[in-house]
Formats: sequence, structure tokens, C-alpha cells
Amino acid sequence: MNWLPLTILLLPAVGAALLAGRGWRWPRMLTVIVGPGVVWLSFLVVLYGYATDVNVDQSYWTWIKVDGFTLPFNLLLDHLSLFMCLMITGVGGLIVTYSVGYMGHEDDPSYARFFCYMDVFVTSMLLLVLAGNFIILIVGWAMVGLSSYLLIGFYYWRLSAVVAARKAFVMNVIGDIGMILGTFVIFFQFHATTYSDVFHQLGCSGDRLCLGTPDSPTLELAAFLFLVGAVAKSAQLPLHTWLPDAMEGPTPVSALIHAATMVTAGVYLVGRLHPLYDVAPYAHHAVAIIGALTALVAATIAIVQTDIKRVLAYSTMSQIGYMFLAVGVGAYAAAFFHLLAHAFFKALLFMSAGNVIHAMDDEQDMRRFGGLWRQLRGTSISFLIGSLALVGVIPLIGYFSKEFILGAVFSNPDPLSIWLWVVGFATAILTGFYTGRMWWIAFWGKPSPTRPVAVPQEAPAVMLWPVLVLAALSVAGGALQSKTAIGFGTTLVEDYLRPVVGAIAWPANPFDVLLALATMVLALVAFGWAYLMYVPRAERRAAFLDSLAEVAMASPHPWSSRVPWAQTLLEHKYYFDEIYDWAFVRPLDRLARWGDRGDRRVVDGSLTGVAGWVQGGGRELGLLESGYFRSYILVFVGGAVVAGLLVLWRASTA
Amino acid sequence: MTVVFTQVNASGALQIAGESLDTGWFLYLAAILFVIGAVGVMVRRNPLVILICIELMLNAVNLTLVTFSRQLQNLDGQLFALMALTVAAAEAVVGLGILVDIFRLREVEDVDELSELRG
Amino acid sequence: MITAIFFIASLLALLGAVGVVLFRNPIASVLSLVLVMFALSVHFLLLSAQFLFAVQIIVYAGAVMVLFLFVIALLGPGRELASSRMPRQGWLAVVVAAGFAVLLASLLGNLTYHQPASTNLDLFGTVEKVAIGLFTTYLYPFELTSLILLVAAVGAIYLSREHRQ
Repeated sequence: MNWLPLTILLLPAVGAALLAGRGWRWPRMLTVIVGPGVVWLSFLVVLYGYATDVNVDQSYWTWIKVDGFTLPFNLLLDHLSLFMCLMITGVGGLIVTYSVGYMGHEDDPSYARFFCYMDVFVTSMLLLVLAGNFIILIVGWAMVGLSSYLLIGFYYWRLSAVVAARKAFVMNVIGDIGMILGTFVIFFQFHATTYSDVFHQLGCSGDRLCLGTPDSPTLELAAFLFLVGAVAKSAQLPLHTWLPDAMEGPTPVSALIHAATMVTAGVYLVGRLHPLYDVAPYAHHAVAIIGALTALVAATIAIVQTDIKRVLAYSTMSQIGYMFLAVGVGAYAAAFFHLLAHAFFKALLFMSAGNVIHAMDDEQDMRRFGGLWRQLRGTSISFLIGSLALVGVIPLIGYFSKEFILGAVFSNPDPLSIWLWVVGFATAILTGFYTGRMWWIAFWGKPSPTRPVAVPQEAPAVMLWPVLVLAALSVAGGALQSKTAIGFGTTLVEDYLRPVVGAIAWPANPFDVLLALATMVLALVAFGWAYLMYVPRAERRAAFLDSLAEVAMASPHPWSSRVPWAQTLLEHKYYFDEIYDWAFVRPLDRLARWGDRGDRRVVDGSLTGVAGWVQGGGRELGLLESGYFRSYILVFVGGAVVAGLLVLWRASTA
Repeated sequence: MTVVFTQVNASGALQIAGESLDTGWFLYLAAILFVIGAVGVMVRRNPLVILICIELMLNAVNLTLVTFSRQLQNLDGQLFALMALTVAAAEAVVGLGILVDIFRLREVEDVDELSELRG
Repeated sequence: MITAIFFIASLLALLGAVGVVLFRNPIASVLSLVLVMFALSVHFLLLSAQFLFAVQIIVYAGAVMVLFLFVIALLGPGRELASSRMPRQGWLAVVVAAGFAVLLASLLGNLTYHQPASTNLDLFGTVEKVAIGLFTTYLYPFELTSLILLVAAVGAIYLSREHRQ
């Protein structure tokens, strides 16, 4: 019995249980040790697993045993899940450590509550990736949704936070339904629920992509249903509206859940279920199309956001679109490498943004920052590294991962792929633009006149060193998989994941590397163009380029006068929220109100009615003991009459 | 004064001083008196009047006893009625005594006021 | 003539009974009851219960009812006013009484009489016969009855004593 997977899973659970039970009464020091500590311990166990090259599908006990069907509680720790666990516990550990400082101003019970929820989340996410069968997967899936709800609504006294948490949860539940229905279809088709059973029946495993099994409507249906789940969890079109609102949660929450881990669960799902998607081409293409579209749309919306966390949220949506695109064409290793890279640099960006917000006295509007480069040097540098990684600049990890994806898509023989590549290419340029805009507005130029804090303090050490670690990882991480992006070097990620997801089945195009470099250059150009557009003339040093750009007084939207309709469209996020509200929320609300009225009248009414009868009966019975002589006499005589009549009747019929 | 009579069969007819009365008439009268007394007990609110109605009921019972004593030509009925009369007298005495005792505390016009046995 | 006596006495008894229940003034009720007792005494006489006839008048009407009158005089007549405490009592009483009446009617309707014991009927109901019965066969109940009277007397004295607070 291999205890490794269970240990990895349960360590954060123990932490959560301790914090839930006793944490609010503990001294802060103890919470600080337990909360992040269990995550780091789990990380160490995962490292041990990596070092010993563990590969096990371990069943711990039989959960359901019915005639003909057995459901074990089994955890699957193969290379893919180990990869995910490394990321979850590693990046998670860094973020939880960071939040020791970030959440420091909370009172003790809230402090403990935060770390309890974070540990619950880590446990849920680990359960999701370690699950060895569909049912456990759904359990982890739902628990992750719950943790997200708890953490988004952490500041539960704020109405906006509670509403956002509810929105996230409801959309996640839509995904849960897809997952459950998909599992039903799988069970119906294969009469099994463990991965090993199902994949075995699909006739493929590991590095053999299942191209031999024929397609069938049932398999397509299952694949589409799981896609619904993935889309909801990963905030892809059309179930994406919850992610920007989820920024109501504390910044570490945004970093961990909505950048590094939870939203990548959809990518993991498609990757893990790749045997299914390999034989369901329609669903598989749908994955790629959704991914590409989301990437592009999210990038366009990010251009007009003023809240720094929202820019990062839409950026996350866009990057996950890239990952969906990658799994959609079958380049699984590329997707997971980008997943890892994104975890590094997006967490880095969020935490640096958190440092900025912290220094700016909880202000999140970028337009009120300005000029932080001079005053918050450390944070600015880390933010810059993260930004450049996001844009995809050599030698940062973002370049290698993004170009791996784009290269794989470009060289994919499928006729659709070239269009998808165009979308991805455009998105990369837009990424450069909005990232640049974010950087220039927030960090460059003169301090905004509406800045809340004139002399910001750099973050304390506990908030800085996780950021620095991530920055280092973002810089050095490219070494893991450099061959595919620059033509030489390593293929560590691809090799490691090959036993589970297989290799990329088509040859690389010789132009890949050139295209990659060209993409990078154009993205950098866009980055620079943002400088021209958003930094006012008075603060710029390169005066000769003025003629190319609109000049405004530190306005973040210089296009407003030129294409106002586009501005409005983007500012309203393509009106998705409004459409959903009109189409779903209002009718459901009315239905719920009608149901409530019915419930109150019928159900409650009948209960109240029964209670009324009982009360009335009680009152009548009370007359028996009223103390009134005359009532007693009445009952007396009446009873005698009844008894007499009874006896008579008996005697007459006897 | 003795009344000479002869009885021939179990027909219920009572031969009294030459004329024939039916037992049933006496019984019906007693029953009616009893019911009237019962109604009085249930309806009246003055405690004294309630006691009086109880006496009325007792009298009706006495009449029934004596009637059957005559019909069955068994003196036991009359003796029973005598005892009942005596007991009725004793009971009236005690009842009135209690009433007088209550009246010492307060003026009871309505027996509904005496509801301390409530609950 | 006997029949006529019977009906007149019955009528008086009924009127008296109704009067007992309906009169508001308790003195009037008592007097109605006295009328009933007299009427019943006549019935007793018709039924060959001479001793009882006398006892009824002397003891019951003459002593017990007088006692009632004394108590009413002591406590004050007190007129009854309409009560709202138990408004349904009247109707329910009528209903119950009706039920009672039905019961009695059904009982009385199916009477079959036993063969009377053939005893010496010469002195039926006379003092002599009553005395023989009381002091021989029913001596024990007789003594107990006198005990009851004693208890009642003691009780009455006790209940009506002066209470020292």
C-alpha cells in the first residue's frame, strides 16, 4: 500500500481541520506555522515522490460496492498528477506564505479562517488532480468550487463580495452539472468509473494516442459535457463572467485560485481525459475554438480595464484560452508547460500587484498610481519581470511556453489550426499592448495627483521573498523546455509528461522558431506603443514620436474620441453580463419569487393550518379543565347519557 | 289507612282503590322530573338553586323506587327510599354548610366564579 | 277519582319542577320544590306508601326545605344576571338533556314487568311493616344511616364555626 498520494492529500486537510476547530482561539504564531506549514510539508512529500519517480494508482478502500459495480477510493499519482501537485503545493505554498503578511491586519478569528479556507482549497485541488476515478474527480471539483466561494466572499460583510461569490458558485455549478452528466454518460457506455477501466476500454493508454477507436455520438456527448465543466471552472467563453468579479476576494486568493490553480482545472481535465477527446474530434475542436476565441476576446477587454486586478483577471482568462487551444489541438505537453509558466508569472504578477495595493492603502485603480518605479523599486522590478514573462520575452519562461503552444498550433496539419494560430498570434500582440498599458500607467511617469499614499512603503520581507522566488522561477524556468521555442536545449516537460499524455504527434515546422521570435518582437512593439498612447506628452522623453499618438491628460482611454463605440463595447465586456442577466437571472428570479409565494402559501399555510387546528383543539380540550363547575356537570351528565346509550345499544344488538 | 287491592299478573297495572293505574305513568313522571332537575343543575348559576335541583332529582328517584316497590309488592323499595331520603337530608346539610363557609369569604352570585379548580 | 287525583298531583309536580328551574328568585325555587314534594307525597299515598307519605312531608318538606330557606335568608337571595362566561352552556345543556330524555324513553318503552312476589299485602306500606323491615332485615343499613346523620351534623357544625384568623 503506497501511502504517498494519501499523505500529500491529507496534510493540508489536517491543517484545515485544526484551524477550523481551534484556530480562532490560537495565538497568531500558531496559525502562521500551521496554515502555510502543512502546504509546505505536502510539497516536500511531493518532491520525495518526484525524486523516487513514483507512479501508482492506489486504491485505499472500497467506497461503494453494489452488485456488479464497485467504486474504490483510489488516488492516481502518475507523472501528470505529480506535475500538478508540484505546482499546487509549490506555488500554493509561496502564496500562502505571502498571505501571512498580506492578511496581517485581520483580526485573529478572520486570520485563522483565511488559512483554514486556503488549506481547504489546497486539499480540494489536490483531490481533484489525484483522483483516480470520475466520482472522486467530481468531489474534488465541487469542493474546489466551494473553496472558491468561501474565499471570494471572505469579506462577507461586503455586499459586492457576497454577490461575486454567489455568481462564481452558480456558474461553477453549471459546470458541475456538465461533469455529473458526463460521468453518467461514461458510466452508461463503459459501466466503469475509474480512469484505468475507462481508458482501458477506450483502447489507449499513456503515450499511445487513441486514434484507432471509432467516434460515436455517446463519446462526443460525454466529451462535450465535460467541456461544459471545464469551461465553467476555467472561466472560458461563455461561462467566464464570474472571474473578473471574483477579484473581490483578497489578492492572495486571486493569485492562488484564479490564476495559478483552480482555473487551470479545466485544462487538467481535458489533458487527463485526453483518451476521450482524442476519439471525439468535434468536441476536441470545440475545445480549441473556445480557447482561441476566449484568448482574443479577453485580451480586448483587458485593454480598457482600470482596476489592476481586473486587467490581470482578463489576462488570466486569455492565457487559459491559450492552454485550451493547446489541448484542443492535441499539444498536451505544451498546454501543461504553459500552465506551469502561467502559475509562476501570474502568481508573481498578482502578488506584486498585492504589494502595490498594500502600499497604496488598498487602492486598486491604476490611474491613481503612477511613478511607482522610483519609489517601490523591488516591487516594480518583480512586476516588470512578470509582465515581460506574460508578453513572452526571451529569456523568460513565458516566451518558451507560449511559443511552444503557438508553434505546435502552427505546425498542426489540421486545416482549422492555421486560423486558430492567427487568433493566437493576434492575441499575443494584444497581450503585449495591454500589459504595456498596465505597466506604464501604474509604474511610470509622474505620481498621479489622486494618489492615496504619497510615499509608499515597500512590502515587508514575508511578502517580498515569495515574490522574488517566483521571479527567479520565471526567469530560469525556460530552461525546462527550451527546444521547442528556440530550436535547441531541453525538452524536460515534454519528456516527463509523455508517459501520460503522449508526444506531439506531428513534426515541427521549420519556421516555428522564426515565427516565435517574430511574435515576440511584435509583442514588444505593442508594449512600446502602449507607452506612447498612455504616458502623457509632458512626461515622455521621446518627443519625436508624439505625432503618432493621441495626447491626453493622463487619460487611460485616448481612443475614446476616435472609436467610441468600441470603447463602450469593451468597457461593458461585450455586454455578456447584461445578456445573461436578461436571459437567465431575471426569469429565474421571477420563478423563484413565484415559488416562494407558493411555498409560503401552500406549504407554510398548510402547516400553519394544522398548527392552528391543534391549537384550537387544545383550547377546546382546555375547557375540560376550566375550573367551571357547570362544564364539569355538563360533561358528567353527557358522559352518563353516552354510556347509557352505549349499553343499551350493545344490549339490543347482543 | 289501608287500601285493599288485589294483584293478578305481571302486567304493570296497579289496582288502587278499585281503579287501575299503569306503572308506566308513574315512571314517566319520575323520569321527566329527573330530567328537569338535571337541566336545572346544568343551567342555573346560583349555587343554592343548584342544590335545590339536586334535591328534585333525588325526589324523582324516590318516586321510582316506591313505584317499583308497589309493582313488585316488595317493601324493600320503600325502605330504600327512606334511606335515600335520609341521606339526601344529610347531604343537603353538608352542602349548605360548605356554601355558608364559602359565602363568608365572598358573595357568590355565580357558581362560575368558583373556578379555583382550574387547570 | 283515583286517576283524577293522580293527574292533578302529577300536574302540580310538573309545574313545581318547572318552577324550580325557571324562577330567578331562589326563594321561589324553594317554594316550588315544596310544592313538588307535596305532590309526590300524594303519589306515595296512591302507591300504598303511607309511612313515606308522612315522612316526606314532615322531614323533607318540613325540615330540609326549611333549612334551605334559612340559609337563603342568611346568605341573601341574590338574583342571577345573564352571564357571558359560558354562553354555550344553555344550549349544550338542552342537547344533553334531550339525549338523556331519549335514553330514558327508550328504557321505559321496553319495560317488561316481573311477577310480583306474593306477600301478605294487608299491611303493605304501614308503619308496622316498615318498622319490621328496618329493625330486622335492614338493621345494619339503618344504623349506618344514623351514623351518616351524625357525620353530617358534626360536619355542619364544623363548617359553620367561627374562623379565627
